[in-house]
Amino acid sequence: MALTVLVFLPAVVAAIILLTPKAYESYARWTALAGAVAVFGLALGIFFSLDLSKGGYQFTVTKDWVDIGSFNLQYHLGVDGISMPLVMLTAVLTVAAVLVSFGIKERQRAYFACLLTLTTSVLGVFCALDTMLFFLFWELELFPMFLLIAVWGSGRREYAATKFIIYTFAGSAFMLVGILILAFNANTFDIAVLQNTTFHDTVLPLRWVFLFLLIGFAVKLPMVPFHTWAPDAYSSAPTAVSVLLAGIFEVMGGYGIIRLCVSILPGVAQDYSIWFAAIGAGGLLYCAFITFRQTDIKKLVAYLSVSQMGLVLLGISALGQTGLVGATYQLVAHGIITAMLFVMVGLLVERTGTKEIAKMGGLARQMPLLACGLGFAGFASLGLPSLAGFIAEFTVFLGSFQRYEWAVLMAIFGAVLSAGYILWMLQRVIFGPIRHDAETDALPDQRHWWEHSAVAGMAAIIILLGVYPALLTDMIGPAVSTIMTRVGS
Amino acid sequence: MPFLAVTPSAPTISEGVIWAIIICPLAGFALCTLAVLLRSQLQRFAGYLAVATVGAAFVLAMVVLFNVIDAHGGIAVHSHTWYSAGPLKVPLGVRVDGLAAIMLSIVTSVSLLVQVYSLGYMHGDRGYGRYFAYMCLFTTSMLGLVLADNIFMIFIFWELVGLCSYLLIGFWFHRPSAAAAAKKAFVITRLGDLGFMAAIFLIWTRTGELGVAQIQAAATNGAISGTLLTLFALGIFAGAVGKSAQFPLHVWLPDAMEGPTPISALIHAATMVAAGVYLVARFYPVFEASTDAMQVVMWIGAATALIAATIALVQTDIKRVLAYSTISQLGYMVLALGGFGYVAAIFHLFTHAFFKALLFLGSGSVNHSTNTFDMRKMGGLWKRMPITFWTFVIASLSISGIFPLAGFWSKDEVLHAAWDSNHAVWVIGIVVAFMTALYMFRAVFLTFFGEYKGGQAVDHDDPDSHFEGDPAHPHEAPWTMALPLIILAIPAVLAGFANINNTFGDFIIHALPRKFEEDQGVQMMTAVISVVLALLGIAVAYVVYYKKWITSESLHSAFLPFAIVLERKYFLDDLYESLFSKRIFQGGWNRLCDLTDRYVVDGLVNGVGLVTDQLSTRIRVAATGQLQTYGAMFALGVIVVVAIIFAVNPV
Repeated sequence: MALTVLVFLPAVVAAIILLTPKAYESYARWTALAGAVAVFGLALGIFFSLDLSKGGYQFTVTKDWVDIGSFNLQYHLGVDGISMPLVMLTAVLTVAAVLVSFGIKERQRAYFACLLTLTTSVLGVFCALDTMLFFLFWELELFPMFLLIAVWGSGRREYAATKFIIYTFAGSAFMLVGILILAFNANTFDIAVLQNTTFHDTVLPLRWVFLFLLIGFAVKLPMVPFHTWAPDAYSSAPTAVSVLLAGIFEVMGGYGIIRLCVSILPGVAQDYSIWFAAIGAGGLLYCAFITFRQTDIKKLVAYLSVSQMGLVLLGISALGQTGLVGATYQLVAHGIITAMLFVMVGLLVERTGTKEIAKMGGLARQMPLLACGLGFAGFASLGLPSLAGFIAEFTVFLGSFQRYEWAVLMAIFGAVLSAGYILWMLQRVIFGPIRHDAETDALPDQRHWWEHSAVAGMAAIIILLGVYPALLTDMIGPAVSTIMTRVGS
Repeated sequence: MPFLAVTPSAPTISEGVIWAIIICPLAGFALCTLAVLLRSQLQRFAGYLAVATVGAAFVLAMVVLFNVIDAHGGIAVHSHTWYSAGPLKVPLGVRVDGLAAIMLSIVTSVSLLVQVYSLGYMHGDRGYGRYFAYMCLFTTSMLGLVLADNIFMIFIFWELVGLCSYLLIGFWFHRPSAAAAAKKAFVITRLGDLGFMAAIFLIWTRTGELGVAQIQAAATNGAISGTLLTLFALGIFAGAVGKSAQFPLHVWLPDAMEGPTPISALIHAATMVAAGVYLVARFYPVFEASTDAMQVVMWIGAATALIAATIALVQTDIKRVLAYSTISQLGYMVLALGGFGYVAAIFHLFTHAFFKALLFLGSGSVNHSTNTFDMRKMGGLWKRMPITFWTFVIASLSISGIFPLAGFWSKDEVLHAAWDSNHAVWVIGIVVAFMTALYMFRAVFLTFFGEYKGGQAVDHDDPDSHFEGDPAHPHEAPWTMALPLIILAIPAVLAGFANINNTFGDFIIHALPRKFEEDQGVQMMTAVISVVLALLGIAVAYVVYYKKWITSESLHSAFLPFAIVLERKYFLDDLYESLFSKRIFQGGWNRLCDLTDRYVVDGLVNGVGLVTDQLSTRIRVAATGQLQTYGAMFALGVIVVVAIIFAVNPV
């Protein structure tokens, strides 16, 4: 029951916001904040009441939903040690996204309603234990996301939004085929049952089914070479939406791979694990090289984000406990760190009125706190020890080294590259003498409590996850070992 | 080799005290950061807070030192599990032994003196609070690095000292050169850290161990051997090459002089750059078990010592002279490590920390009164700054290896180790000793003798300049700066006596699982030759830079090709930056990837979009709006899909 409330609470708040008369437009953000905080509190409660000694699903709700003859669509929710941290991440980032949107002026009601609908869909994806339900939640986010980019975005926003939607739809189509084939084989949509079913080649070889599912997630992750929608979308989206795209949507892709591809078809995953390693490490390097060439700061962070998702694939590739714990940790760490990076960059772009790195410079003098936040997020992103990203990165590397030494060696070279592009970005953006261009001259150092609290909160969580990793690893560990007993390693 | 006489016992110091050493400066960091972020007026007290917290750490470090002395250099380890992921159990623990105790005393004492010095040096700077926050964080990380009982934690603090180095080199971030130098330092050290990381993955994958004691044991009892052992040792050493500025990754350290001078003294002379040497010493049994690795270590050290010493001869910036000198001396330590001179290396690290910190603080004092580091704008300062002058000369004599100052004893142990393993390396070491005396006294004569050339005029329009006083009339430093100089001069003279009866060596040797002592002590022949050469170096400096019987210009033109090579620093910066970084990497390879992504990968996507768009325009005729047509189309589609499925799997 708790999960039902958790998942649908944001949607209910969204409906309330939409239904309030236009005269109360300015209260929309407060309502949204209240809703987001409530979701956060509820998620926190569930987080701490999860039984860490068990690996399976908890807080489950099962209801028959649609009867389609031989088997039913079920309304089946539940969380385990893998999805719980991601639910928590979603709750945190929703609060952050609402806070950084406090300055939004146009069509506030619609904006916050879209934002909260997104939250419902994402929470649904993480909690769904029925593949069809999973798919429905998965698709639910497309429409609000399209609107958010196309209406409140900037630059080539229609192009970016359309590209995003077509790309994701195409991916989802494959995923749906995969889900249906699995369901008709096992006569169920229930993920918990599917995970304990042994599949054989039927109408299509299993590896095709695996591939179909994977394509859906690969687009979202985004996995090279399905990544080119991301820089456009991230760059055009408003700040809060870039935050959600990078912080949660990418994470959904990684989660899907672990939950459906690896858990349900472990045999195929074993056969193809070398491709995960190759694409993970290769994509990581490839995008890192491209990051160096970006002149638009939002695109720079977009490529950086895509690059670092390579670590998730690398962590999965070894199909061992350490690697999978690392990959899940990376999902959380990447989510919060990249989100913070996008917040800082978004604020920077808002203040300076430009996305061009060449037009910035010396901002540390004019906006010391903003520069401080950008520097912090940058170091978190390059994997500085004592911050969340390092734990994830190192656990992934340690977990994958035995099986794919070469891939890990490639990926650690990425650690030098990330130091390079991040520090170079900092050097050009916040250091150096103050530039007296028209755009950046005499910038007011604006301070808003909502921005401060969002940034401080994210920074605190990044530090917490960097110095107290057992908080999550003790939760992820048992869930991963449940999967591993099936993978057989 | 005589067997050790005393058996050490485990130090009885409680775990809480050891952790408190790390936590004291950490608290200082937290409070200073808070004050800076909240823009509190309390920032003014950041300096005193730093002195207090580091002072507390110093006292505790002394308690630990004496406790370990009582235990004759025994080992105490307190380990817990930090987090686990499947078979991976990451420990969180501290380890105290002779090596750690010595490092603790070096770090806390030099750090404390540098904090006191900074009270004067940084007075009036806009970033006063931020400066001491960084300093506290650095001290915390350095102490953590020294106390860590496992390689994972060592790496964590290793990176954190790198962060502090970055932040402090770029402290005056509005200067483009400082921002560039900070980035360079971080990225180049990370390049070395690749090896370090790979070594950690390798050792854990093959042995499942991360603890220092376990890894040492694995090397001594043969659990790891052969190629694996050598690769592990070389990986660790790669990290050390980056951090300790060894050839070919030494290029970041001279640029790091962009940071405030007290930083250069603490981080880029006494402690952080020595961390590489410490790291190799920590895993010394692994190195000793691999002849190949030892050869690499020795030759890298020798090459570094020689290359840096030659470049130091032509520098005109006093801090750069000291920077190259530091690289050269670190080369000495590394060379000693490669020559089975564990005690010699650590002993030199110990003495060097004091006299090199003193030299840097002296150069800072000079800068504080002349507003420049350019030796061509100085001269004649000995009368006006007597404390700075005398302490600087003492340190210069010490580093030159003049009997009986500290540097003499440790340098001769290094050369002794070199002699025992390779005579060619010994020759390099002797040549470097000559050059050391030459460049140091070149600096002394240019800075303190001759006519004063007026320093650098103060730019009063620069809001970032906090220069107080008048460069035209240089003055002695305030007591906060002078006092640390005087205190540091004491170990610069006396520290060498620590190992006169192998006391120092016996103390730190038990940190390793070894059964025998190395052949320590001063070798008469080496001692005589090196002192004679050092005196010769001082004499040459006297002739050229004081008496000017031979002018430096005539020397310059006589050795023109060499001079150019040295002034261009063997063209390494040109090679790395202009050729590799700008052209091959950014302008070539990265550009290629970017273009591929834009025109091939994304081009394909947009191409598909375009084709679909075109097609749909043609097909629009088919969009009749009639449900039957759609139904027929859909059926057709299903038939096609089914056909494909059966084509793939013939029934």
